[in-house]
Amino acid sequence: MDKDKMDKDRENRKDKIDRITEYTDIDNGLSDVQRVKVLSPGMLVVRRFLRNRLAIIGFVIITFMFLFSFVGGLLTPYNETQVFRYIGTMSKEYVSVTINEEFRFTVAEGMSYGNAAHARFILAKNRGDSVFTHNDDEYHIIQEAEDFYRVVLSEPKARITYIRGVMSVTPLENGLSFDEDVQNAIRQAIETEQTSFIVGEEQYTLTRQGRDYVLGTIEDVAIESLLITDGVNTNKDLGFGFKLALEKALRSGDSLSFQFEGDFYEIEEDENVASVYKVTGSSREQYALISQMAVQAISPDVVLTIEFKTALEKAIVDGERKFTYPDDAGNAIVYDINRINNVYTVKTETRTHLISMHEQPSSQHWLGTDKHGMDVLTRLMYGGRISLMIGFLVVLLETALGVVMGGLAGYFGKWVDMLIMRIVDVFFCIPFLPILIILGSVMDKLDVDPQKRIYYLMLILGIMSWPGIARMVRGQILSLREQEFMLAAEATGLSIYRRIFKHLIPNVIPQLIVLATLGLGGVILYESTLSFLGLGVKFPFASWGNIISGVSTAYEMTNFWFVWIPAGLLILLTVLGFNFVGDGLRDAFDPKMKR
Amino acid sequence: MSEIKDDNIIEVKNLKKYYPVSSGLFSKVKYFVKAVDDISFNIKRGTTMGLVGESGCGKTTVGKTILRLTDKTDGQILFNGIDIHALNRKDLRAIRPKIQIIFQDPYSSLSPRMPVGEIIGEAVRDNNLVPKEDFDDYISKVMLDCGLQVYHKDRYPHEFSGGQRQRICIARSIALNPDFIVCDEPVSALDVSIQAQILNLLMELQEKYSLTYLFISHDLSVVEHISDTVGVMYLGSIVEYSDKKTIFGNPLHPYTQALFSAIPVPDPDIKKERIILEGSMPSPANPPSGCKFHTRCRHCMEICKHQDPQILEVEKGHLVACHLYPSKIRS
Repeated sequence: MDKDKMDKDRENRKDKIDRITEYTDIDNGLSDVQRVKVLSPGMLVVRRFLRNRLAIIGFVIITFMFLFSFVGGLLTPYNETQVFRYIGTMSKEYVSVTINEEFRFTVAEGMSYGNAAHARFILAKNRGDSVFTHNDDEYHIIQEAEDFYRVVLSEPKARITYIRGVMSVTPLENGLSFDEDVQNAIRQAIETEQTSFIVGEEQYTLTRQGRDYVLGTIEDVAIESLLITDGVNTNKDLGFGFKLALEKALRSGDSLSFQFEGDFYEIEEDENVASVYKVTGSSREQYALISQMAVQAISPDVVLTIEFKTALEKAIVDGERKFTYPDDAGNAIVYDINRINNVYTVKTETRTHLISMHEQPSSQHWLGTDKHGMDVLTRLMYGGRISLMIGFLVVLLETALGVVMGGLAGYFGKWVDMLIMRIVDVFFCIPFLPILIILGSVMDKLDVDPQKRIYYLMLILGIMSWPGIARMVRGQILSLREQEFMLAAEATGLSIYRRIFKHLIPNVIPQLIVLATLGLGGVILYESTLSFLGLGVKFPFASWGNIISGVSTAYEMTNFWFVWIPAGLLILLTVLGFNFVGDGLRDAFDPKMKR
Repeated sequence: MSEIKDDNIIEVKNLKKYYPVSSGLFSKVKYFVKAVDDISFNIKRGTTMGLVGESGCGKTTVGKTILRLTDKTDGQILFNGIDIHALNRKDLRAIRPKIQIIFQDPYSSLSPRMPVGEIIGEAVRDNNLVPKEDFDDYISKVMLDCGLQVYHKDRYPHEFSGGQRQRICIARSIALNPDFIVCDEPVSALDVSIQAQILNLLMELQEKYSLTYLFISHDLSVVEHISDTVGVMYLGSIVEYSDKKTIFGNPLHPYTQALFSAIPVPDPDIKKERIILEGSMPSPANPPSGCKFHTRCRHCMEICKHQDPQILEVEKGHLVACHLYPSKIRS
């Protein structure tokens, strides 16, 4: 019985063992063949990264930013620098009127009389001289009225000797004689000390030369006057003769009509403004306007009619503040007249194309428009392109520089290391922001093209920020170089190239990726700061920084939130995203981090 | 030193390695650490030389200097009659595969970002040792020889245990078909059961590939197991050198005696006289005058304090550096 039990026991145990061995053989064998497919270190990193929720959030944010900037820019119906306008009215300066206090001259046909001669005339007039010379010509000034002078050339005709009432006239040309009227006029002129006189149609000048006088006949060169004459036909010059006749008639005081080249003109004077009418038969029409006012349109393509000018000048003379005049279509338009010293500005409400600045968000502009009238959402997309591109290129540049410099320092050591690390120390001593501000203003001064400026900005940021990477790479390589696998690699006779690029660099890459990812956020932030300060990306190119810097006053900040808050949010989210991803990568690369 | 010279794969003659210690801003050399101070020995082709000594006595430096992983200060190292330290870079690269090293730490001696097949085969490919079409088969064969499986090729070092990693290290060396391997404490980091496997593997490979080993260890029982000849180092010098039987049977130098008395014997009945050394090893930067061991020697005489003993052949093939043993055989 005892034996039976033992047998049974033994059988049971054997059964159990069999079952266990069967079980282990099939499923849970510890032999290598049974193991799950193993992952490379890279795949392990990816797995750990994917398990990190924050890192995934960061990754999603960055992906969104990329889609937003690069795809969004393609989808938006607007351009980066498209300005939106609408038609509206605005008060605009239309005409300026100046009270003329300077002599203006009109030159006779065929005569040369320029600004230099005009200046000599002003000097001579102020001195009280009746003669001045210019370019070897002797000009005589004949005052016709107050503020109206004729400038004439005089041709000597006779020499006159006059001693105590006894006068002798010696003609300078043979066969020339002067009748009694002229002789009397000369005597009268000498006695009354006049420099010119008229006999009949002829006007003479009398110039004193020592004891003698020289009698000359005159030839008109120019008239100098304060009054300004405008013709009805703005294309046709009124001509010297007409102006002379008009002014003479106007100054004579009694006769308000004159004849010129067979036509008959009438002057209608109204205080300081005079209209000239051409009389043909029984009808008369306005022919010219003469006054001391210079009327000029602000816009060069506006032609003012003589009627408008007449009405305006009359309004100014009457001291009106407003003045109404019908436009071409016959609508009465009200003009405001403002006086500043001798200048009157006339403003009018005109309908023009206006830039739609700071438009509130609408279905057309989801985030409104900025102060340049550009669509904010579109500019955010294009700005994202530049910000992200600058971020990536700068990090690429600084990483390349940092790896090369740090690698050289770490691998070769000795004086190479010494030299490079001192350079790094120097770079760490340079105050980053002031240098960038200085370089930014240098670029301003040199008037660098905004497109090129972006590249220079990348270059500068990259050059300024490699030392951190170089220091990290050097440290890593110094520690890796002493690892036994590097000694083994040397002992197996591998080339230096393979040792550096197959053994050293792959072991530095994890830290490099982490540093570069974290650096990306920093660079984007730096770019925004510089653009905000007006030193980085310049208008018309958009970047998130300069979109924010477009808002510069408290009024704009409080009222136009849609311009700066979205840009600020995008910067915040992007930097946050990069930092999340960087942290996630760091944790993923560190096998000791287990969550 | 009466062997036929041609049979020596490695001859080390008066090797010195001093590390300068500098201080101050302008790098003035203050003093030298004499890591290896005037060492000579030969290793016969196909044998294993054990090099034992306390930690810090310069064993590893000797190994690295033989491979020219560090530069020597003085002396000569001949490999097959070629002075390794006199080669230019190109010739050195050509000879490198012939001399290999296995490190103590199997964790830091494998690049973590490279699959095992690449670690083993990289240098083979770089040195063009095997035609391209045979490359895969060759690596597989080496891996099988070293107790690894072919499918391990695509795995990464972090997936292996210490023993397997050490096998990978051995495979990396063997793959280059070397003549001489420096084993720098290859089993110290492994537990005892694995140690035996690795040692047996090394001995198998020695037979199969006719290798010569310099086996550096502080573990005397391991050295006894694997070595043909043994050198005992103390503070940068070899104090005793002989074949295994002689030195284990009849250790002459007081330091060797003290060292060997510390070997545990797996028999509780045997009462062994244990020689306890007092104090610790002096700094190699400031070694004692005369015999370097005199500060800790129980037979210390007056002469030991002043005169450095020469290494002399006391018996046939048994060299000792100690004033206790005047040379019996004058050669």
